[in-house]
Amino acid sequence: MRYAIVLFCLMLAAPVGAQDRTAPTTIPEMWNAWCARCHGKDGKGKVAEPTVTVVPRDFTECKTAKSEGDPDWELAITKGGPGVGLSSQMPAFGDALKPDQIRGFVEYLRKFCTERGWPDGNLNLPRPIFTEKAFPEDEMIFAPVVSHKKGGGTSWSMATIFERRIGKRFQMELVAPMTSVSNGVSRQTGYGDTELGLKMALNPNATNHLAAFGFDVVIPTGDESRGLSEGAGFEPYVATASAWGTTYLQTQFKLELPKARPWDDKLAVYRMYVGRDLNVSPTGWTVGVELTGENKAASITPQVRKGLSRTGAIAGAIGVQLPINQRSEQGVTWLGFILWEFLETPYFGRR
Amino acid sequence: MARFHLVGISRNAVLWPALTLAAVVVALPRPVVARAGGTIVGTISTKEPAAKPIRVTIDPDVCGQSVPDESVTVDAAGHLANVVVTVTGVKVPAPVDAAVGNEKCRFAPRVSLLRPAGTVKMLSKDPVLHTMHAAAADGKVLFNVSVPIPNMTLSKPVDKPGVVTLSCSTHTWMRGYLFVTEELSGVSGADGKFRIEGVPAGPRELRVWHEALKVTVPVKVVVKDGETATIDVTMVK
Repeated sequence: MRYAIVLFCLMLAAPVGAQDRTAPTTIPEMWNAWCARCHGKDGKGKVAEPTVTVVPRDFTECKTAKSEGDPDWELAITKGGPGVGLSSQMPAFGDALKPDQIRGFVEYLRKFCTERGWPDGNLNLPRPIFTEKAFPEDEMIFAPVVSHKKGGGTSWSMATIFERRIGKRFQMELVAPMTSVSNGVSRQTGYGDTELGLKMALNPNATNHLAAFGFDVVIPTGDESRGLSEGAGFEPYVATASAWGTTYLQTQFKLELPKARPWDDKLAVYRMYVGRDLNVSPTGWTVGVELTGENKAASITPQVRKGLSRTGAIAGAIGVQLPINQRSEQGVTWLGFILWEFLETPYFGRR
Repeated sequence: MARFHLVGISRNAVLWPALTLAAVVVALPRPVVARAGGTIVGTISTKEPAAKPIRVTIDPDVCGQSVPDESVTVDAAGHLANVVVTVTGVKVPAPVDAAVGNEKCRFAPRVSLLRPAGTVKMLSKDPVLHTMHAAAADGKVLFNVSVPIPNMTLSKPVDKPGVVTLSCSTHTWMRGYLFVTEELSGVSGADGKFRIEGVPAGPRELRVWHEALKVTVPVKVVVKDGETATIDVTMVK
């Protein structure tokens, strides 16, 4: 009789029909039960019965899965697509999941990229004004510079920089500047020297620190007689990126070797940038300061950077370079940039 | 009197502007605020047939093999459900919060009343991932939140008046509506009947809203204190 009562109670308590589904508890189970509905169990973003009109990203494509940092992905899961400027068809999970679960999902979806050799998106740091990024990028940058020297004139330049990622860890770069120089008496304006460069991430599988080696060639397209060219040259460099949460350290050491007398007229260029995101948002602010030097001349450049589009694919920065020594020779320089991640539409992608 | 003298202002200098201001304030048109008044009841009907059930292609173990298409919900007599009737110009605090559930892959209720700056509470009873995607009449997305866990409750504010369309990113047939208004309103039930109490006496115009059907003539009714006015409305495509 007792067993009959127990059995009856179990029958009452037993879930039926829809309730037969077991609530997912682990990240893989939750992925398969929830996220796979649109992203697919394999993360490719293709499902037999799609219920959204926007095709989700293919997470097995390492360039997609590895190009941005964890905070971007966490924001997309927490606030949904609109949180990072993407489609509202991606819902927000911030009210339903705990922060550690959201981090678990990011870790899970990153594993859809199974190829080694792709630099970690957590080291895709905000671009400083001077220091070369170690992370390979697809960007178009417009960088205006205005400098003024005491007793001299005001010079300016506008460089257009095109960066294109090649393969897992290479990047080519083309710099095309318009320059206007003044000695206080006369002004010369025209096209300056073109730079062509190649960069390679040295330790793409590292997670905390990334180093890259680059080599730029200066093509003397400017008119040297008018002061618009410094002649042909070669510029090998090493760049590094390190991140501790939302605080960043980026460095670059470069040698500028004129073709004519590379060792006699060489210039040692060093740059170090320390920056911090004030908030995790595509349109957030990053503040930083950059210590730069050429041989014995040193200067410091406080700067701010901000995402200008909903996704941060368009961003701008401004700073002022203040000489630490050799003040009259260096002068004060205002400079900045507008960058556009051209592979990402203004509504897609960050940094 | 002494007070006016103390500050050096004559009595007339204050009195007349004050009276003028009061007269202007009284004369300004103001929305009627509902108090104890009359009641409007009625039945909404249509000759449109009920929409056919929708075949379920996803989660049939939870949603069933088909779900009713509630875009036109009529009974055998043609009584129409989910119609909002609003008394034009009579502002009252509607329910601040609306509760909308996910139940067998449908929003329940399909149409809810909400006051601007109110909150919609979501509760899912289904053991599948649902989302509540809320879009204003101009297409602006207000929010899209996931409700993946059964018996989980979420709340979201809705600021502006208007009709907010609810949908689910994972079950495309799911539709719901938040009718956000400051005006005195009621929603017709499954039998097509609605009831609005506390309507100030006087001639009143009613606005009638349905997601798919409309009225072709103005709907007017005279309300008397303590009495019930009856009006029947027919809606067409």
